[in-house]
Amino acid sequence: MNLFHEIRRAFRLFRIFAAQHLKKLMEYKIDFITGACSFLIDQVVNIAFLAIIFGGVESLKGWSYYEILFIYGFSLLPKGLDHLFCDNLWNVGYFVVRKGDFDKYLTRPISPLLTVTVEIFQVDSLGELVVGIALIVLSLRHLQMPFVWYDIPLALVAVLFGMLIYTSIKIILASIAFWTKQSGHLINMVYGMNDFSKYPVEIYSRPVRDGITYIIPFAFTAFYPASYLLRHTAPVFSIGGTVVAGCILFAIGLLVWHKGLAAYESAGS
Amino acid sequence: MRKFFKTYLPFTQAGIHGATAYRANFIAWFIGDVMYCFVMYYVWRAVFASSGQSTFHGFNMTDMVVFLFVTNLTGYLTDSDGSFSVGEEIRDGNIAMRLIKPVDFDMTFLFSEMGQKSLTFTMIFVPMLVGVEIYKYIAYGHVMFSIGTFALYMLSVVMSYLFSFYMNVCFGFMAFFLKNLWGFNILKSSILRFLSGSVIPFAFMPDALRSVMEWLPFASLSYTPVMIYMGKYSGAEIAMRLGLQFLWVVAFYLISKMIFSVAIRHVTVQGG
Repeated sequence: MNLFHEIRRAFRLFRIFAAQHLKKLMEYKIDFITGACSFLIDQVVNIAFLAIIFGGVESLKGWSYYEILFIYGFSLLPKGLDHLFCDNLWNVGYFVVRKGDFDKYLTRPISPLLTVTVEIFQVDSLGELVVGIALIVLSLRHLQMPFVWYDIPLALVAVLFGMLIYTSIKIILASIAFWTKQSGHLINMVYGMNDFSKYPVEIYSRPVRDGITYIIPFAFTAFYPASYLLRHTAPVFSIGGTVVAGCILFAIGLLVWHKGLAAYESAGS
Repeated sequence: MRKFFKTYLPFTQAGIHGATAYRANFIAWFIGDVMYCFVMYYVWRAVFASSGQSTFHGFNMTDMVVFLFVTNLTGYLTDSDGSFSVGEEIRDGNIAMRLIKPVDFDMTFLFSEMGQKSLTFTMIFVPMLVGVEIYKYIAYGHVMFSIGTFALYMLSVVMSYLFSFYMNVCFGFMAFFLKNLWGFNILKSSILRFLSGSVIPFAFMPDALRSVMEWLPFASLSYTPVMIYMGKYSGAEIAMRLGLQFLWVVAFYLISKMIFSVAIRHVTVQGG
């Protein structure tokens, strides 16, 4: 089983890299703690903001406070996982290609894409995951949600493929740096659109709604799967859509990445 | 006076060149910020549609849109990179080059940042503000722009910037002791996002909290100028707020001078 071996090898490599990275982090403990605190403050402010809004209205286009909290919490899971495992793609877009540092990945006997992604293990993102889970637990206690056993595997599938949507978008945009030397600001711009995914799509006008569903499908990373879990509506579209969107984007990502590698010329000496 | 400008204006020019070099980055940030404003616009639209009322804590829909965009624009003018630049220079040792030159330490930062700001002002701020005014005209059916209010707003913005600058310089000096500022910088911006009233308008908070927030120096960073622009303060209140802003600028100017004279004795240039 060649593929099986490849995957096992990837996990083993990841463990080694993660251990290295954790050692590096212990050197900058204070940075880690302050980073985690600032993330927590941001989230508390955002949630206070939601609470203030819901002080004035009972529901937002039919969605209650706790339903919105659930969607918000759910949105942090794929985002946090991508942040945890694939944060280094930002650096590819910002510096690695421009400074000519990408050469080192090409000399290694592992796929460059795999090496780049596993090299950094971004512990800051644990903040996102913890807050996400806390919000989901909190909202579950106030909601009477329909539940069947297969909701749990479906939720896991949605989180994983939601993460794949994030990662693939970053791969596509980071690859552009192979031609332009730098694409970090482009990643930043498109990535920023994930803000749209935290609220029900009903609040947006038609073009925005279609944009975040079919063009840059951030709505599938949070709202659609979360709305299925909340109300059991449109399972095929909500969960299936997340899987399809993740797969299509990942295929495009691999294609662009390999085209980019072929076009890559090292910078400077 | 002429000598003063002759000394420092080249820094402004360098600042303009620096900003031009990074314009792609800046434009990407800008588009990201505008997108955030649109998300919030849709959220507020849904809030007003769902509540069935025309005002929320004294803000109507048009007010909210103006608040979002003007807060964002004000941020472009009042943000200061001082802490990052000072911190970076302490880390990489370039601070030594500034200390041995016969120029004032903070003036060089101030003037080079003014270069960036002048570019932001003409390329982003003015066109966007015209857009906001056109939106208000469409919403209310008559021109709401008053040159007097705008002048008071700009006066407030200038003080906001000076406050932001000196506060950040104070913060940057912490690098003399901490060596590594990155985490603290992120933490600082999260706290300021809240304390400056740029995310949640103070008007939405309980009265006691609201008055505390309005007296703190950080209101100066965003809330005070934005409320002046929106005409939410009466004449007497504007005078009082501007006076308060001025006092905070002076206070932080003095603190930065004090820290500088202490910190300079602690300087250890790393590496080199």
